[in-house]
This record gives sequence, C-alpha cells and structure tokens, in this order.
Amino acid sequence: MLASLLAFVQHAADPTQVQAMTATAAAGESPIFWVIVIGYFMLVLGFGAYFARFNRSTSDFFFGGRRFSWWLITMSIVATGVGSHSFLKYSSKGFEHGFSSSMTYMNDWFFVPLFMFGWLPIIYYMRVRSIPEYFERRFNPQVRMLATIALLLFMLGYIGIGFVTMAKTLSPILEPHLGWDLMTITWVVAIVAGVYITFGGQTAVIFTDLLQGFVLLFAGVFLFLLGLDFLGGFDAFWSLLPDEYKLPLANFNDDPSFNFVGIFWQDAVAGSIGFLFMNQGLIMRFMACRSVNEGRKAAAFNVLIALPISAIAVSNAGWIGRAISTAQPDLLSPDTVPDEVFVKVTALLTTPAGFGFFVAAVTAALMSTVDTLINAVAAVTINDVYRPFKERGGSRPNDKHYLRDALVVSAIATLIGVGAAWGFSQFESLYEAHGFFQSTLTPPLVAAIFLAIFWKRFTTAGAVATFIMGGVLIVLGNQWPTVFIEPLAHGVPAPGEGTYRYIGALWNLVACFGTGILVSLFTRHHKSESIDGLTMWSIESARRFFKGGEPNDRTGFAMKLRWERLAELPEGVVQVDRETLKGLAADGGEIVYVTDARGWLGGLRSTHAKVMAEPHDHGEVVYVSSDVADTGHFLPGRMLKVEKEM
Amino acid sequence: MPLDFDRVWLPYLYLYGVGGVFFLGGLWMVVRSEGFNKLRASDRRWLALMFFGFIWYAGLHGIGILAATSLS
Repeated sequence: MLASLLAFVQHAADPTQVQAMTATAAAGESPIFWVIVIGYFMLVLGFGAYFARFNRSTSDFFFGGRRFSWWLITMSIVATGVGSHSFLKYSSKGFEHGFSSSMTYMNDWFFVPLFMFGWLPIIYYMRVRSIPEYFERRFNPQVRMLATIALLLFMLGYIGIGFVTMAKTLSPILEPHLGWDLMTITWVVAIVAGVYITFGGQTAVIFTDLLQGFVLLFAGVFLFLLGLDFLGGFDAFWSLLPDEYKLPLANFNDDPSFNFVGIFWQDAVAGSIGFLFMNQGLIMRFMACRSVNEGRKAAAFNVLIALPISAIAVSNAGWIGRAISTAQPDLLSPDTVPDEVFVKVTALLTTPAGFGFFVAAVTAALMSTVDTLINAVAAVTINDVYRPFKERGGSRPNDKHYLRDALVVSAIATLIGVGAAWGFSQFESLYEAHGFFQSTLTPPLVAAIFLAIFWKRFTTAGAVATFIMGGVLIVLGNQWPTVFIEPLAHGVPAPGEGTYRYIGALWNLVACFGTGILVSLFTRHHKSESIDGLTMWSIESARRFFKGGEPNDRTGFAMKLRWERLAELPEGVVQVDRETLKGLAADGGEIVYVTDARGWLGGLRSTHAKVMAEPHDHGEVVYVSSDVADTGHFLPGRMLKVEKEM
Repeated sequence: MPLDFDRVWLPYLYLYGVGGVFFLGGLWMVVRSEGFNKLRASDRRWLALMFFGFIWYAGLHGIGILAATSLS
C-alpha cells in the first residue's frame, strides 16, 4: 500500500533532471493535478452541504449545539490553528533559520493552566456566546462596543490575510495557465469559502475540519518523509544542515529579523494569550464541546501532541529545502526567495498528482482558518450588534430570523474580506501584513480580557482606558520606537525600519496592562457591576448559573439504554428508571448528556436534556421528549448513552 | 556564529525561566481561586497534567539542544 502511495505521490522522473521552477510550472499543465485539486474542493463542499442539515438554530450554526467529543474538536482546532499562512511562513523561516522555525508552535503551555481552570469554565458555564458579550456582562454595553469594534476589525483583517495568502500560493500555478491575476484568484477562493460557510455553519466547519486536520498533518509529515528519502535518509539530512540550524531556539537578540527574545514576547506571551483567550473562532470550538472536561481534553491533546507534530508539518519543507540547496544547489538555489520554498520543494519532491494533493492540503488550511473567522464574524455581528439593536427597539424576532441574517452576514464578511485582501496585497510581504495586525490590534484586547478574568479589582474605567489609552500608547511606540521600545528591547539592535517588529510587543503589552492596572487602582468599582461567575474567583457561581441550581459532584456512570419517543413528556426532558437514575448519580431536574451510543460519531447525534424527578418502572429504556429526539437527531432502533452533566 | 552559551542555553533559560514565572504564577492563582477544587479528583489530575506539560516541553527543547550540540 505504501509503495502504491509513493508511486502516486513521489516524483517518478529522475529528480536530478528536474528543477524546482520547471516542476511547479509542469504541475499546472497536468490534468491529474487539476482533478485532485478540484476533487478535493468538491469533497469539502459536499461535507459542508451534508452537515448543514444538522443546523436547527443559531446555537447549532455558531456553536454546533455544545455536543461534540474532544477528539473531534482537537482535529478541528489543528486545522484552524495551523492556518492558511503557516506552510508558507514557517517553511520560509525554516529555510532561513532551521529548526527554530518551530518555536512559535511550542511555547503555548505557560498560559494553559489559566485557560483550563479559568477562561474555559467561565465561557462555558456562563454561556458566553462571544467575547464582546463577556465584556458587557463583566462591565457595561460601552465596553462591549469597544471590544466588538476591535474584534471585528481584527477578524475581518485576518480573513483578508487568509484570502491574499492563498491567492499568492496559487498565483505561480494559475497565472501562467489561466491568466488570472491576484485579485481574480482572491475572488474565486472567496466565493468557494463564502458559499461553504454560508450554508454549512459551525457543524459543517467542525466536521470538514476533522477531515482537513488529518489531511494537513498527514501531508506535512509525509512531505518530510519524501524529503528524507530524496536526500538519502535522516543521517544525510542531518549532516547537510549547518550546526546552528539544528538548534530548536533562535539566537537570543543578535538578529533583528529573527531573535528569540522578541518572539518570546510577541508569540509566547501576546500570541499565546491572544490564541487561547481572544480567538473567537477557537472559543466557538470549545463552546461546541459537550462539557468543560471534554474541552480540557481537547486543549491538552492539542497543545501537548498536535502542536509539536504541526510544527514539523508546516516547517519541514524549509529544512528539506536548505539541505537540498546545500547538496544540489542547481536543483534549488540557496538564494531562493524564502516565501517560495514550500511550493518549490513540494513540486520538486512530488508528481503532479502529489503536488495537487499538497496544494489541496494548503487550501484546506486556508478554508479552515477563513471559514472559522467568517463564522465568528457572523456570531459577533448577530449576537453583539444586531440582536441587542433589535431588542432595544422592542422587537424580538425568532431564531429562524437570526439564522437567516447570520447567512447574510457571512456573505457580507466574505466580501469585506476580499476588500481587505486587496489592501494587504499592497504590503511588501505577507509577514509585514500579518505582523501589522498582530502587534497593533491584539494587545488591547489581550490585556482587557486577561485582567477582566483574573483581577476582580479591574474596573470599567480601567477596561475603557486599556482599549483607548493603550491603543494611543501603541501608536506612540510605533512612532517613536527609540523612546518607548528601546528601553525594553533586551539588547536587540537599534532600529532601522521595522526592526522592533517582535520586541515591540513587549512595549504594547506593558502599555495596555499598565494603563488598565493604573486606572483601575484609582477608580472605584461600582456595586452595580456584578461579576459573579465572570472571574476565576467565582467559578462555583458560574457552575450554579449553568445548572440553575447547586451542582452535584457525586460520581456516576454513563448508562447505555434503548430509547423511545414519548410525546407526552414536557419539552427538554428525558425519563429513566430508578436504577438508571441511581447509576447516573443524578437527582431529578439535573442536566444529562444524551448521545447515540456509537462513540465514533463524536456527538453528532446528541443533545442535553433534564432528567425527570419521577422515574418510570419499565426497565432499561430512556423516554425522550419529541424536541429532545429532534434536537439530538436520534435514529430509531439505535442505543443511546446517558450521562450526568454536572 | 559560534555555538557558545549565549547562543545555545540563554534562550532556553529565558524561555523556561520567564515563562516559568508566568506558568507558576498562573498555577498559584488557579490553586487559590475557585477554578480549582482539591476535593475533586478530576481537578487534581488536571493539575498534575499542568506540571507534566511544562516538563514535557522543557524536555523536548532540552533534548533538541543536546542533539544539536552533540550529534554531528
């Protein structure tokens, strides 16, 4: 089987006769290349269309109905986290600097405890639908508005970056054959992504991400194996790399364009907090988990196992490229433009069919990132702008109305993303465009969220100051870096243009955190601002809020039962016999998770319900109310598993 | 560039030194807050996993540095 796969993917021609440049062009002329790429797109669209039928409400559309297993969410996070720009960006850094290109994938653990024990339980138990909503509940509507503006700008910009990245990836292949320029390619990519998310929603994204997560990791690791084979094995690969390239961490502060200390503050601190605490797309993934514990499992597996593998998957084309350029510079020049290394190395190592598969894998990364962001923009716009606006006007439209509007917003977000893509295509490089966003828009939100969750004394005035004053100080830092950034620069060489691109994050964080803390210390916390359940210091209140009563921590078991629909039962209720109730360790009125007993479905056919206080006496059967049966998509004749939620 | 201490071990010590301060500070807040309940077995297991994760990454980076400097 492996031999067949290699024959299909690995370059059949004598690789010494093929140059990277000609291999890229040749792939674009091959029909099999196009069959693979278009076939992959059709597969993804088919997935979206199939799983769209599981959307019944805005909760399903945005959060997948809070019902999925950890492994499903993990792969979904991999696909989203790896991101559209990762293969190009990290292969480029791997080519220039070696294994230290993996740094940003392997420095996220420091803030994981605060995420798992603080932020995750808060958003889940308090049923926070978006980050701005959290700010309103923690502070007031004005702070919510500031957070909404910052978040929407950030996400729309990111959608634009995603589009332009993919357009730049496909441009060397498409432009010579179809004559499409960058913006035409952007439009095509945007239409496919927009159609998919508009009709699919979160459930579709999660399930297609499951597929794409596997494809991404497999493609990246497989490319590494092909590269090692091409070079004659791991020993040959290792001996071809300069010693400094083998170090997993970059130089401390010597190189302004790539230094450890700057990347530590930009990525390990600001980036990690940003990724874990303010990434609306990621939060929606965790909200789709069936419980907090499943969310913790997903986060732990993702950071401990999936991220190190992802680091190899996205970077190795650069490492292999550097080794090839040392051994055979006529095949791949050492002076190759770093941003082109991924495409050239892949074309060099694979057949047109294999190249098509890898292009599809990168496309998958784009689709995951962009679709998640489009879905997140729709969630924020509907829940934080449109719904409050309607309710203030005295109107209370039903859920179907909001679901239809969410589809329209998804389409509009896609269009704005194309506009943003045009703006970013004017930057000199993707890296600059990406860096501009990371360093400018992330710190105020990061500081405000972090202080709001972990510091009870953080006041409304402090939050407003973090956004406004923090933003002003960031602009001042960019304008006069020698005054503001240099004292914190850890010896990174004095700036030419843009040389403080990493360590500048330290100033931005100091400015935003400092402003928030100082203003909070000198302003009064109003009694009306109830923060029960909204900080890490009151999570028991959040658990009570979620359950609607005192949590029950008695250990119970998951019970496997046959099921019957019982129309007479009240809405949202299931009824079990006395023995099952005892096995669940549940009391009447408590929340249970009811799922199709086939674990491999990952919770696709599942829902939450309240268990009736009065047990029936008909043995091992669970009676399910009609709405619960419909929401759970339960199939007649299939066994169900019932488990106490809390 | 020579592979001296500043090039090889200073980033590692900074990463797990300064990063360790954030990590331990976070755990200190977790244990003191309502986020952690020592009477719940699952919470104790998750807390143990936090330490494992720190050691896991420190180990991965440490082994990577040793391999880079000792295997030619």
